[in-house]
Amino acid sequence: MIARMVASPRVVLGAALVLVLAFVALFAPAIAPHDPAEQDLMFTLLPPAWDAGGEAMYPFGTDSLGRCLLSRLIHGTRVALYVAVVAAFGAMLLGTALALIGGYCGGRIDWLIGRAVDVWMAFPPVVLALILLVGLGTGVNMVIIAIIVIDWTRFCRVIRSEVLVVMKRDYIPAARLSGFSHVQVVLREVLPAVTPLVVTLLSLEMGIAVIVEATMSFVGLSVEADVAAWGVMIADARQFMNQSPWGVVLPMLAIFLAVFAFNLLGDGLRRTLDPRLMVARGPAS
Amino acid sequence: MALIAFQILLRRLLLAAPIVLCVSALVFVVLRLLPADAVAMSLPPGATAADYDRLKAELGLDRSIFAQYMIWLGRFAAGDLGASIHFRRPVAELVGTALPNTLELVAVGLVLGVAAGVAGGLAMFAWRGRAAEQVADLAATTLMSIPEFLWALLLILGLGVALPLLPFVGRLAPEFALPPPITGFLLLDSLLAGRAATLGSALLHLVLPSLALAIALAPLIMRVLRSSLLEVILDDYVTQARLRGIPERTILLRHALRNAALPTVSLIGVQAGFMFGGTVLVEVIFGYPGLGNLMVDAVRNHDLPVIQAVAMVYCLLVLGINAVVDVLYLLINPKLRAA
Repeated sequence: MIARMVASPRVVLGAALVLVLAFVALFAPAIAPHDPAEQDLMFTLLPPAWDAGGEAMYPFGTDSLGRCLLSRLIHGTRVALYVAVVAAFGAMLLGTALALIGGYCGGRIDWLIGRAVDVWMAFPPVVLALILLVGLGTGVNMVIIAIIVIDWTRFCRVIRSEVLVVMKRDYIPAARLSGFSHVQVVLREVLPAVTPLVVTLLSLEMGIAVIVEATMSFVGLSVEADVAAWGVMIADARQFMNQSPWGVVLPMLAIFLAVFAFNLLGDGLRRTLDPRLMVARGPAS
Repeated sequence: MALIAFQILLRRLLLAAPIVLCVSALVFVVLRLLPADAVAMSLPPGATAADYDRLKAELGLDRSIFAQYMIWLGRFAAGDLGASIHFRRPVAELVGTALPNTLELVAVGLVLGVAAGVAGGLAMFAWRGRAAEQVADLAATTLMSIPEFLWALLLILGLGVALPLLPFVGRLAPEFALPPPITGFLLLDSLLAGRAATLGSALLHLVLPSLALAIALAPLIMRVLRSSLLEVILDDYVTQARLRGIPERTILLRHALRNAALPTVSLIGVQAGFMFGGTVLVEVIFGYPGLGNLMVDAVRNHDLPVIQAVAMVYCLLVLGINAVVDVLYLLINPKLRAA
């Protein structure tokens, strides 16, 4: 299985991009040429160094307050990956746990979880996120909570139906007969069987979390306005789009790159780990 | 046939009723978590403590949260959505003006997205096994990594700023007056009033926002349609059709597409619901006066009556679309049709 994964160009390229982003996020202060909040009012709205009028000091140019765009992009990686990892893991834990409980127990519990998913699906996710952030207050950790509370259904729906398939296999009653408790059966037999699917969904969810964080920081409901996050950078630069498109284009590229990396990895994993999923359900968007 | 479709639609809508109730309760409770004081925000400056208490009682805010919910539910069912705290206008009026705009945007976006997605899916299928398929597949993954609001900004940069071909602010050029509001739908109203120039301007203002929604939808449809086509093309009836000498093109468009359309239709149903979510940011970016813009304004101003009403409208739209798609699914499914 590992060999097949390594042979897939999607997995390799996706994983390599994710590793690069993780490296940039971890060592942001060491890599960034400037402090992301440092203003240089002599050089505002500079184009990148390769463009006419650029300065070598600011490789990607500056924003309207003369802050280094490259440094802000590098520090923005931290916010994006922090949200991607924590929120996606949270949604995965909640969604998978409920899927295992519902799928394994069946009956009323399963019914209840299924109806909860129905209620959640009656909303466009963005609208639900906005409502939650009104109730919870703003901030990056609130965005993470909102993503977990909203996106557990993405895991729950897909994994629950997979659990039902696994439950029909002979080795489940066999495990029960050999003296496994219910918890042991779920953790040792059912969970490993659905793990490939969970990993695939996790990777795709990280991409979704990056988009949600960028969206919410764009409308000013995520990080504080002075924190370097990609969505904040786009919102700041939008007013100056006519003079300098770079302030909008570069953070957009960063968002795209991160989401593309997670999608590529997730897509590749899906193809190598579970070819049936691709045919039967299409992309788990 | 039409009767059966209607019965199923009715049954689906009845099934959706408990969901609407749960959603309304959920939204109500979440919004009451807010630490802000809705009473204080509604009062004019210079109000006394007595005014405060009176308004609080008037709004029902001195009672238990359950009692408050029942009051709100009763009014909502009767069509009374309350008054906006921020805009100081009836919420029903705000929603009434914004909703048709959003519906027009989603309708145009869906048509464009489905058309592009189906064309792309057929093209990918036709190119199966060739290098072009791989390229199209990678292009789909790439396009899927760009959310609607980035498309909106990209389109503004490309077709609004760099090549100023299309308008990208608002619903109509400022020199045109709104036509008399007969239906509330700007396109229809300008058509009814016979104002071709207004209609043209309204259409031009729809191009970029609906494109932003369509480009995000198309790759999803493209991929699902392609994989279902790959499945059905192996079925017996396709082989039989080939043996009867029916041209490949006819088999694809008349027979295979019909059967392969099912998963695509259910995907479109789910995505159409999500598209209303996509409109939120797209409307904000294009300054388009729809529900999404209203919602974000309300969120920024903690305008609870508006947030609550708009949230319910979104929920009803999503459930309504799902019900309609279920009926469509049935109508085109040859296997279910007989039953």
